[in-house]
Amino acid sequence: MSTTTVVESWTEGPLVRFVAQASARLVVVMTPAGQVLAQHGFTRAVDLMSASALGAAIMASSGEIAKQMGEPSFGTLYHAGKKHGIHLAPCETPRGRLIVLTVFGKETSIGLVQVFFDEFVAALKQAAPARQQTGPVLAADFERELNNSLASLFRR
Amino acid sequence: MSLVNFTTREITCKIVYYGPGRSGKTSNLQYVYGQVPDDRRGRMVSLATQTDRTLFFDFLPLDLGSISGFTTKFQLYTVPGQVYYNATRKLVLQGADGVVFVADSQMRQLDENIESLQNLHVNVLEHGIDIRTLPMVLQYNKQDLPRELILAPEELDEALNFRALQAFPADALHGPGVFETLKAISAEVLRRLSAAAPGRR
Repeated sequence: MSTTTVVESWTEGPLVRFVAQASARLVVVMTPAGQVLAQHGFTRAVDLMSASALGAAIMASSGEIAKQMGEPSFGTLYHAGKKHGIHLAPCETPRGRLIVLTVFGKETSIGLVQVFFDEFVAALKQAAPARQQTGPVLAADFERELNNSLASLFRR
Repeated sequence: MSLVNFTTREITCKIVYYGPGRSGKTSNLQYVYGQVPDDRRGRMVSLATQTDRTLFFDFLPLDLGSISGFTTKFQLYTVPGQVYYNATRKLVLQGADGVVFVADSQMRQLDENIESLQNLHVNVLEHGIDIRTLPMVLQYNKQDLPRELILAPEELDEALNFRALQAFPADALHGPGVFETLKAISAEVLRRLSAAAPGRR
């Protein structure tokens, strides 16, 4: 079943459109630290959290090699498997640098993914609002709830 | 920086376990993984060498449950402790919301602890972050070893804890101190998002 999760609503329109146009199985938009910002598609294709952590790590390590070689960036990475391929690319937006992991199958091609990825990046840039300063999120007495949560987590 | 989803009311934070090689960073995550119910944790990923030394990182996503109406998720990472892997260690620190420094309590490892702590400061600075602003706790691991081989928590405090951070004696292999360490760093990290954070009153 296809699912959508978005942390910030401005990503949803461009993301859903990109998945449909590129016939991708799954697209994950994440921060450079590997935190999922949005995802759309068949999440059974991969374990979302670990795929994001690994995707961010791949981008970070290849970026570091590029830096050591005096290259500004290597840009897009692509891996083809027997059933699935992945396309991993950075995307600069007014909300900062993001990383996009696209998982696709035999029903599409890397060429098609790349074509629509460029449109996706343009749409994200246009939709992204500037960074906003947010107020406090948790109540001042959050520690009581945290202690209860951790106690139940460790069955204490 | 913690990721806050106001629509689905979710918070995601990244915590990095840092320290010298073989100090017990991976053991901390393995113990947590073994204790937490299946439905409260994701898959643990370990990028290790053939001899089970951490090559890039270990990764363990945890679901802490609801706090102030927000589903709170923590992503625990370890770094490779060996000096050789500094480039990858630095990358794992990117975007960290908090750090647990896992020190090896053995007397003969004191220099390695100091070197690793200094290396943490350098790497954090290279990400443009002042270490004093980063939530951090210390863990003095391997306190279960014979007394004659290890330094007492007070001695380790003197050598490593010049910022008077919270510090916990531990035996990560068997569990003592692991929970307390995670609890303390969780509170430190989440405090920055709370109404009780300095400058928010």
